[in-house]
Amino acid sequence: MDLSRRSFLAATGLGALGLASTALTAGCSTDGGAEASASGPVEGEITVLTPMYQGATGKQLLEGTLLKQFHKKYPKATVKVDYTDYNSLNEKITTGLAGGLLPDVLMIGVGWVPPFAYKKVLAPLPDSAGTKYDYQPRVLAPSKYDGKLYALPVVLDARVVAYRKDHFEAAGIKAPPKDWTELRAIAKELAQAKGGKVTRAGFDPFSIDLRQCWENFVFANGGRLFDESGRKVLFDDDRGVEALQLFLDVVKDKVADPSFAPAAGQPSTLQQGRASMMMTDTALWLNMQQQTPELIDEDKVGMFVLRNTDAAMLQGGTLGCVSAHSQHRAAAQALVEFLATPDAVLPAAEQRGSVPGISSLRDSAYVKKNKLVDFALSNLDKSVSEGGTPAWMEIREKVKPTLQTAVVGQRTAKQAIGDLASVAKAAIGRL
Amino acid sequence: MVMTSARSATGTRRTGADRPAPATRRVRTASRGRGRAGYLMVAPAFLHMALWTGLPLVAAIVLSFTSYDVLTPPKFIGLGNFTEIAGDAVFRRSMVNTLVYAFFTVPVAMAIALVIAVLLNGRLRGRSLFRTAVFLPQVTATIAVALVWLWIYNPQGGLANAVLSFLGLSPVNWLSSTTWAMPAVIVVGIWQGIGLKMLIYLAALQGLPSDLYEAASVDGASKVRQFFAITLPLLRPATFFVFVTSVIGAFQSFDQIYILTDGGPANTTTMMTYQVYKSAFREFRMGYACAESLVLFAFLIVLTILNRRMIGGTDGNR
Repeated sequence: MDLSRRSFLAATGLGALGLASTALTAGCSTDGGAEASASGPVEGEITVLTPMYQGATGKQLLEGTLLKQFHKKYPKATVKVDYTDYNSLNEKITTGLAGGLLPDVLMIGVGWVPPFAYKKVLAPLPDSAGTKYDYQPRVLAPSKYDGKLYALPVVLDARVVAYRKDHFEAAGIKAPPKDWTELRAIAKELAQAKGGKVTRAGFDPFSIDLRQCWENFVFANGGRLFDESGRKVLFDDDRGVEALQLFLDVVKDKVADPSFAPAAGQPSTLQQGRASMMMTDTALWLNMQQQTPELIDEDKVGMFVLRNTDAAMLQGGTLGCVSAHSQHRAAAQALVEFLATPDAVLPAAEQRGSVPGISSLRDSAYVKKNKLVDFALSNLDKSVSEGGTPAWMEIREKVKPTLQTAVVGQRTAKQAIGDLASVAKAAIGRL
Repeated sequence: MVMTSARSATGTRRTGADRPAPATRRVRTASRGRGRAGYLMVAPAFLHMALWTGLPLVAAIVLSFTSYDVLTPPKFIGLGNFTEIAGDAVFRRSMVNTLVYAFFTVPVAMAIALVIAVLLNGRLRGRSLFRTAVFLPQVTATIAVALVWLWIYNPQGGLANAVLSFLGLSPVNWLSSTTWAMPAVIVVGIWQGIGLKMLIYLAALQGLPSDLYEAASVDGASKVRQFFAITLPLLRPATFFVFVTSVIGAFQSFDQIYILTDGGPANTTTMMTYQVYKSAFREFRMGYACAESLVLFAFLIVLTILNRRMIGGTDGNR
């Protein structure tokens, strides 16, 4: 009995170790044949993971219209949709990779191509896919890594400064600021306070994501995040520190308050009249159409590109790409190309209030009607994107909490940027 | 479970002369059969534990010595992850945050739960309703709970600030202030943890012998004296259980952080489990996350041993 019990335990232990090594081996086999061809018939069931097409209208657009058109074109291909949001997208991809269940088509953010392409998660697309339509060169740049095309842009988002024309007029301000000195001076004129507390922000940089806002500041200050190779940190110079210092300065000037950011779904501080200038993305126009149409009707909102030494507009967006693990790569590539056609891009941009990145859509009724989108397209030559290093997925998660340490006064701007640079250098060192 | 052996109790091998009588053999055969049945009954639970707890534990231990990003094969780096953890300010911060969170949520929630359990153990009109109401947060999805608390803590128009305003106090940025974010999360933790603790205490209270209370009443002991002299000492096993499970629960708190603060501002509410999650699923550092989770595991073992020494374990008579 003793012997059999021991045997049983030993067998179980060995089994567990065997399973563990099998799991590890399975986890390790991520090669995925990135170089394999996508030629072949467009058929099979594919899955798409998307942070876009959210809500009832988004789902109706994707499944009720776009995928029906796709199925009509490729009747042997069927598409299953896995919806998520931008906050959970990263985790969904990680767990998909760990579990060996990565969707065939991934809709990812700008800056994500280098890390995933470097790790051979993405399958390269033929160069011809990038020239089929007149994608703007700046728009296509984040889709490439190491000279190869890995993604196609579906929609873009741009960060600009929106301002209240009525506040400017009341304060006798004729033109938007040309640099940060003017920005702070104008913000002081526009800000209102009661009992030492800001009641109207002159300039609100806290209503958009801190990471993206800081990046926009870095670019507007003539800085860059990484060098061309993606192996050298560049944001830790004076320009990066000054970019973070701007947040602290506007709080010190009592022209901004970090707690002003409204809860999700509420009108922005600019719409509420609680801010005179605000960093925003292009979705603001859609929100104004839905929540505060009078601001559009009365032409109360203007916009300008942030500038200190350079004029810079942070360009984000959503890119479609094919998983290197896909068993139906031809179908997956066909879907990515389909979602990046003008006929699919325009309604997607309209649904989200985003910018379509195809030149022929410049004259569409949607762009002409949406002044913010039109403005972003007019200033696309000033757009700069985040990322640029294969270590970006690790670094991007650290940016916000590290910058926050300065915003809340735990660290100076220089110390916080130093901390972030150390994290980034360590992450790059692990490549 | 009775284990049988071919050897006698003294360890000497039996000869044919001292072979057991048929009746003894029958007893031994029956007990051997019971032993097999016992193993058979334990087998599903054992397999379940081996597959879902043992295997991930082995995998986590192995991976903690590697640099593994899910995308490429793991590379053995020895104690590299552990030395990095030793110098990781954010992980240190998360350890302090977790300790602070556990230090406030566990005893406060336990004290409130005990008081409520004692109240609900007495004769009270609508007792079942109150018991259900107190237990409700435990069975409500944390997402739903956290969304309600998000509204309560909303700096513009939230209930908490409305109460402060009613009292003539200035509004507070509950979740975006480094001063108030942790207390706000602790309050949610306390509120959510009371139900289960109350239930365990209630079950334990109902098992206490009534004759002791009768004797104490005859001796003229007040209710308060009875509570401290009889109830509390007799509840020691339940208290140990509640304390250990609460500490483990506090160390594993995750979902309310995920919804309420995302660990911010500036990592002031980042707990150890949340940091493990971020390392694994947001930063693609599985090996590092495994090492972090082993540190958490070691932490919990040490705390459980300490708890046992301090509270006296399950021995209620000690």
